[in-house]
Amino acid sequence: MSIEDTHPTSVRTVPPRTAAVPAASERAATLLAEGRASRMADPTDWRSRIGRFNRRFFRGKPLNALGAFIIVLFFILTILGSNLARARGVEYDPTRPRCGESNSCISQKFEGPSWKHWFGTDDIGRDVFSRVISGAKYSLAIAAMILVIAVTVGTIVGAVAGYMGGAVDELLMRITDMFLAFPALVLAIAISASLGPSLRNAVIALSVVYWPWYARLVRAQVLSIKTREYVEAARAIGSSHNRVLLRHIMPNAVSVVIIQMTLDVGYAVLATAGLSFIGLGAQPPTPEWGRMITDARNFFRDAWWFITFPGLALTITVLGFNLVGDGLRDYLDPRTVRE
Amino acid sequence: MIFRIVVRRLFFLIFVLFGLSLVTFSLSHLIPSNPARLIAGPRASKEVVDKIREQYGMNDPVVTQYVDYMQGIVVFDFGESTSSRRPVSDDIKQYLPATVELTLAALFLAIVVGMPLGILSAVRPNSIFDIIGRLVSITGLAMPSFWLALMFQFFFFAKLGWLPDGQRLPSQVEPPGQITTLYTVDSLLRGDIGLFWTSFKHLILPSVVLAYGSLAVITRMVRSGMLEVLSQDYVRTARAKGLRESVVVVKHALKNALLPTLTVLGLQVGLVFGGAVLVEIVFSWPGLGRYAVQGINQFDYNAVMGTTLIIAFIYVVVNLVVDVLYVVVDPRISYA
Repeated sequence: MSIEDTHPTSVRTVPPRTAAVPAASERAATLLAEGRASRMADPTDWRSRIGRFNRRFFRGKPLNALGAFIIVLFFILTILGSNLARARGVEYDPTRPRCGESNSCISQKFEGPSWKHWFGTDDIGRDVFSRVISGAKYSLAIAAMILVIAVTVGTIVGAVAGYMGGAVDELLMRITDMFLAFPALVLAIAISASLGPSLRNAVIALSVVYWPWYARLVRAQVLSIKTREYVEAARAIGSSHNRVLLRHIMPNAVSVVIIQMTLDVGYAVLATAGLSFIGLGAQPPTPEWGRMITDARNFFRDAWWFITFPGLALTITVLGFNLVGDGLRDYLDPRTVRE
Repeated sequence: MIFRIVVRRLFFLIFVLFGLSLVTFSLSHLIPSNPARLIAGPRASKEVVDKIREQYGMNDPVVTQYVDYMQGIVVFDFGESTSSRRPVSDDIKQYLPATVELTLAALFLAIVVGMPLGILSAVRPNSIFDIIGRLVSITGLAMPSFWLALMFQFFFFAKLGWLPDGQRLPSQVEPPGQITTLYTVDSLLRGDIGLFWTSFKHLILPSVVLAYGSLAVITRMVRSGMLEVLSQDYVRTARAKGLRESVVVVKHALKNALLPTLTVLGLQVGLVFGGAVLVEIVFSWPGLGRYAVQGINQFDYNAVMGTTLIIAFIYVVVNLVVDVLYVVVDPRISYA
């Protein structure tokens, strides 16, 4: 019998109100982290797990369903968006001005929404609907890159700090604190301003801003998990530190990280759009939503559609990820189970 | 007891400030462009550029440069702004009050609206308050603040003409004196109701936009905190012994529900400062955020790093205060 089989499959961990409360930034991480069931590879078969997930996640929770629907739609647009736009013809090209470099069709700019141009046209006659649906992939690619970098770095730092403890922990967490001492967007602006305006640098800047949050989150998880009996047992039967950390501790910390990632997709999308709005992210003619809002800024009094639709697209996308993130948190948080 | 915590946190503060300066210093050395060339201008000869490098100590070893930088920071000297040709600290002094007024107004609004909304939506589930509360907390975090700002500007200025589109005051109006440097407060202190009304009207749109995100977080925290507390045994006991519902809610439940809210409040300051950068641009609000972005566009890195450092400093201090307040509010907590 392996160690995994002896684990209780769902240890309810509602920590008592402790006497020692960590610093403000840490508390946010622990608020998210506390009281979540330890989840190990479950021997029950997958179909019943998916069934249970469907019941608990979707039934009677229209907002979760709405969020999931939005995310699916967003993924479809990510894959097909710019192709769909181009397939409708040259005049629906998301990046090129309507009639090439010549200004022969300048009168076709700033057309209001119509059957032909659902979201109207912009200042050089491009179809706003095409640009909006083409923009999905930028938001997703950016958010994915930011989170992959941030989660990788943060998880490694947090896991090592939490598991090793002592001076290593102290050093790593003080470095983390240095980054957490800045308001996120302000630091991101400073970093991408130093690196120069481009989408790539915006991604780097936001990754630098986000990893410390994951380091804290993972460290808190590792700290609480490593005192469990099964970890001790694993050590006792001679498992190496690597094995204990990777096979016995990390699998239990994963769900927390996944929830946080789902919630952070929205923030990452918004922060990138914010950087683009200042001029530090995407550069024209990239149809990134934040950049489109900047480009539309000077005309919005006469052409409301130009600015409204990219913003709505941003809002709806972020909303979808937030709703699903919240739903997942409720689903995985044993405190909210009152059945 | 509290004294000891404050001292402890102050030591920590020194460490954090050291870290902050290290981060901004490294950043300003990441810059790929040649700052001396930027100062000299594109047509300057190589000798002039070299002279400027020498003059600004750019040829010194990195460690020497960092020590110089630290010595400056300790006395709030962030170097000279290459765009305004003034010390960055003077610029910051000029622009900081606008940001403080805006962020204070936003936080005030978020608390004053968010707390009652959160309480009411927890106490009366599925009532109109609950629906509004949930709507706010869902949309607030999803909407880009700069977009919301532009939308508000479109409706309330361009369409309806109710509110001004930006600035703290119209350009021809003389600002009130330098008592607190907050225009709304100063004009009230001087008893100038007209001026107060004008500056207040200018403050409404930016602060509402800025408050919206924090409002969402606060509403949500208060609501979930209240829901959790209201289901606990001691609340049932309080009800069982016949206390009025209002007493149960305010005296028994609210106090405990507020603790987690206090934590997020400290973090909200960071969110609000970040959001202020974007909102200030849209509303031409003459604050630090707009100053920093102008600095970015003019490659004025001293201005950008100085502003970053000041904002981080304020943020750290606010969170220190929140940590201390935490102990004051909840005697069970200690930082032993």
